[in-house]
Amino acid sequence: MTPRATVFERLAGTLSVIAALALWELASRFVWRDPQILPAPSEALLAAARVLGPWDLAQHVGISLFRILAGFLLAALIGVSLGIVLGWSPLAARCLRPFVEILRPIPPLAWLPLSIIWFGLGEPSKVFVIFLGAFFPIFTSAWRGMTMVSPTLIRAAQTMDVDGARLLWQVAIPATLPDIAAGLRVGFGLAFGILVAAELIAAKSGMGYLIMEARQLGQLGIAIFGIFLIGVVNLVADHQLARAVRATVGRWSNV
Amino acid sequence: MTGRWQKRLADAAIPVAIMIAFLAGWEAVVAFGWVRPIQVPPPSRIVASAGELALDGFPAGTLLGEHVGITFLRILTGYALALALAIPLGLLIGSNRTLDAATAPIVTFCRSVATLSLLPLAVVWFGVGEASKVFLIGYGCFWVMLSNTIAAIKLVDPVLISAARTMDTPPPDIFLKVVLPAALPRMVAGARVALGVGFMVIVGAEMIGTTRGLGALIMEARTFYRSDITVVGMFVIGAIGLALSYGLTRAEAWLLPWERRMHERRP
Repeated sequence: MTPRATVFERLAGTLSVIAALALWELASRFVWRDPQILPAPSEALLAAARVLGPWDLAQHVGISLFRILAGFLLAALIGVSLGIVLGWSPLAARCLRPFVEILRPIPPLAWLPLSIIWFGLGEPSKVFVIFLGAFFPIFTSAWRGMTMVSPTLIRAAQTMDVDGARLLWQVAIPATLPDIAAGLRVGFGLAFGILVAAELIAAKSGMGYLIMEARQLGQLGIAIFGIFLIGVVNLVADHQLARAVRATVGRWSNV
Repeated sequence: MTGRWQKRLADAAIPVAIMIAFLAGWEAVVAFGWVRPIQVPPPSRIVASAGELALDGFPAGTLLGEHVGITFLRILTGYALALALAIPLGLLIGSNRTLDAATAPIVTFCRSVATLSLLPLAVVWFGVGEASKVFLIGYGCFWVMLSNTIAAIKLVDPVLISAARTMDTPPPDIFLKVVLPAALPRMVAGARVALGVGFMVIVGAEMIGTTRGLGALIMEARTFYRSDITVVGMFVIGAIGLALSYGLTRAEAWLLPWERRMHERRP
């Protein structure tokens, strides 16, 4: 792609975003008017600036990020190790597979009521549901990746007397890393969606709670600000994760 | 032949035995009072509750069939609407570079907006009834399907298109007979992801402001300290998810007979 094409694409993208925001602003000022239905973007920003101090905002974003990181890191740790174990040992796979197949189709959010019964309304119940959301994509891609490691690769290593732990550590796991990397990104995306839902339903802080509280107080502008905030934080976090994954796990893949 | 059957039987015996042992252990742990039944309802209780739910209903006489039906209807309506809008729009955007460049940031952003965060807006716009749930499912499915359709069209091998051009194929035929069949597998994969999103959204959407539907059922059951019913609801949701995903696989095989070998790679 030539630099000119990229410049053109950037320009077209920027212009259309500006156009969309302008259209929304005009629509809510002249067509719908009622700020209880669709506040203009400028009103949403002003309302947020009026009501939310920078410290409140940082706290809501911070607690949300803490929850998602805790759940996601747990899921990455357990999901990757369990996936490798099941992919490496046919016996383990045969024993655990029924449990996996029964639990996998249950949407993570459906665990929320049980999670509240088990862990109460504090942080662990949210972290657990986020963990479940991220766990299954990470686990299944690690497992799948392990079973798809090219048999030629394994046999080639075996002819060179590499086996046992070394075969696993130096051949099979590196060959699985691209799958693990893909699973981590999918898992993070799911975890983010679940975070917001869990905070809407059962939390007293965080970005999801910010939106819910705004709705109850009838401050639709703040709610819209919160929706955009979540979108932006999600984009930034996903971008950072992609960079981290490329720098570590993705070294072996040519993606 | 008998040797093979014996081996098969032995292969099946281990997971079955483990499952039975697990269920028996679970039942025993509760029976001995080591954990409270409210925390981990025993299997016997769950089976009994499933019967109660199917025949008497919960909460207030809403039968299991009604919960399933209403959840099913919400998902399918939102999903069908999203697909009906996203596929033509995605085909249009994917085949036009200017349009793609102009919409890319908007599509990326709207996709990363957490669908359930729109719940307060949906309630204001559509009330607490069916429309707001269908809207949320539709929103979640729409952006996933849209971005997958755009990507599917953009990722069609340019050599295919050039080859068709050198044979003087008229542009509508290039689109219908070359680009579309080549893009379909990715679009179907996108439809599968979108269905998964719809499934996740419905559970969250039903947890607030309704007493009908499976999401509402499991949440209501918790407030009445009926965790056994919560567990039944979870399994039913899982079973519906499996059924829908199986239906999609069948539809895929029917729609894309030339793609079947892709699935045969996996046992």
